[in-house]
Amino acid sequence: MRVQRHCVINADRDTVWKAVSDPDCYPEFMASLERWEPAADGPAGKGARYTVHWKIGSVPIGGVVEVSEFDQAHDLAWIGVSGVSLRGRFRIRDAGNGHTKVIFRLAYESAGNLLGIIADRVAARQVGRNMTETLKNLKTMVEP
Amino acid sequence: MWERGYRLARGEGWVYVCVMAGITDVLEWARQQVSSRVPKADMDQRDPDYIREQLPGLWLLASLYFRADVRGLERIPKEGPVLLVGNHSGGNLPPDTFVFTLAFCSYFGVERPFYQLAHNLVVSMPGLGSLRKFGTVAANHENARLALESGAALLVYPGGDYEVFRPSWERHKVDFGGRKGYVKLAREAGVPIVPIASVGGQEAALFLDRGQWLAKVLMVDKLARLKSVPILLAPPWGLAVSDMVPRLPLPTKIAIEVQDPIEVDADDDVVHKQVLESLQAGVDRLAAERRFPVLG
Repeated sequence: MRVQRHCVINADRDTVWKAVSDPDCYPEFMASLERWEPAADGPAGKGARYTVHWKIGSVPIGGVVEVSEFDQAHDLAWIGVSGVSLRGRFRIRDAGNGHTKVIFRLAYESAGNLLGIIADRVAARQVGRNMTETLKNLKTMVEP
Repeated sequence: MWERGYRLARGEGWVYVCVMAGITDVLEWARQQVSSRVPKADMDQRDPDYIREQLPGLWLLASLYFRADVRGLERIPKEGPVLLVGNHSGGNLPPDTFVFTLAFCSYFGVERPFYQLAHNLVVSMPGLGSLRKFGTVAANHENARLALESGAALLVYPGGDYEVFRPSWERHKVDFGGRKGYVKLAREAGVPIVPIASVGGQEAALFLDRGQWLAKVLMVDKLARLKSVPILLAPPWGLAVSDMVPRLPLPTKIAIEVQDPIEVDADDDVVHKQVLESLQAGVDRLAAERRFPVLG
């Protein structure tokens, strides 16, 4: 299941990147975040691991994720190492006039065959709402 | 005549002794048959891949049917053995147990070893063998000790069948029936106790009576360690005696609160009282948020 949301922020790419690339900012702008903690010591960047849980439905869903791309002011992507199979990405693009377009993508797949597919579809609405809320929070956080 | 009466009385007494001996033998045979069917606890039967595949189905049931709400999982120590002690509700289909199992496995990952103690009849019942893949083992001190020594988290319901079949109008009462062996277990294993308070489970059916008197009449208290044969109203059967026949649990809203760990560094009675008070306070808090039975 792939869910995508985007928004345009009235700030330059570097300012947006500063927030998106800083692990300490995630509890502030990521909606429905139930758990966020580094899974290993080390600087933010490719290979860094975090334990992430979002409250989806009745319980926290997530697991350990690893940053798979850390492209300065451009792309930040991660993959799920444990828990639900998961890929996520922030795409940061110049929108002109000092604005930045941020695309937030999440692709996930539960185990469990048919029930897994149904669960993915049922969860998609709430996941989408959380992503919209996340971008709204990010916008509020970085806009002057 | 007096002598004839004496001989008769002696004869009847002998028959009585023979009949009683027969019943005792039959009871002993039946008890052995039941206990021999209780599978030995094998910690290796827990299967993380199987659990992972079941989680989406459980999530759908917990989120859509029981509208569950689980709070405070971050209070459980991140690693190492821990004894999770809950109040038990919902009869033989306790929604709070599987909601908490789902929450624990989602939060800490299916890789973290996690076992649950269940009544002998549950783990030996045909068709419920899959529970052992979830880490459910027969409730006894030895299995509990094995689980904690292996470094796992262990979920126990000290109230057992006494608490789980309490009348629905006592649904917000934590009652272990005086059982406090779990404190000794935690002390011997050197692990903290984390109370797990839950409400809603006892509204999955209308429990009318524990039926402890019925358990004695039917002698299942001796045959199968079953202290209760409950009487309840539940769909689709209406009035049901015992909770052995599958029924449809009402879609009651389940709320669970994980509480702060309690260290076992005082007398058993003191710790037991502390756990009960903590659970009762949690249940009262969650109950105060409910506006309607079942709907939540």
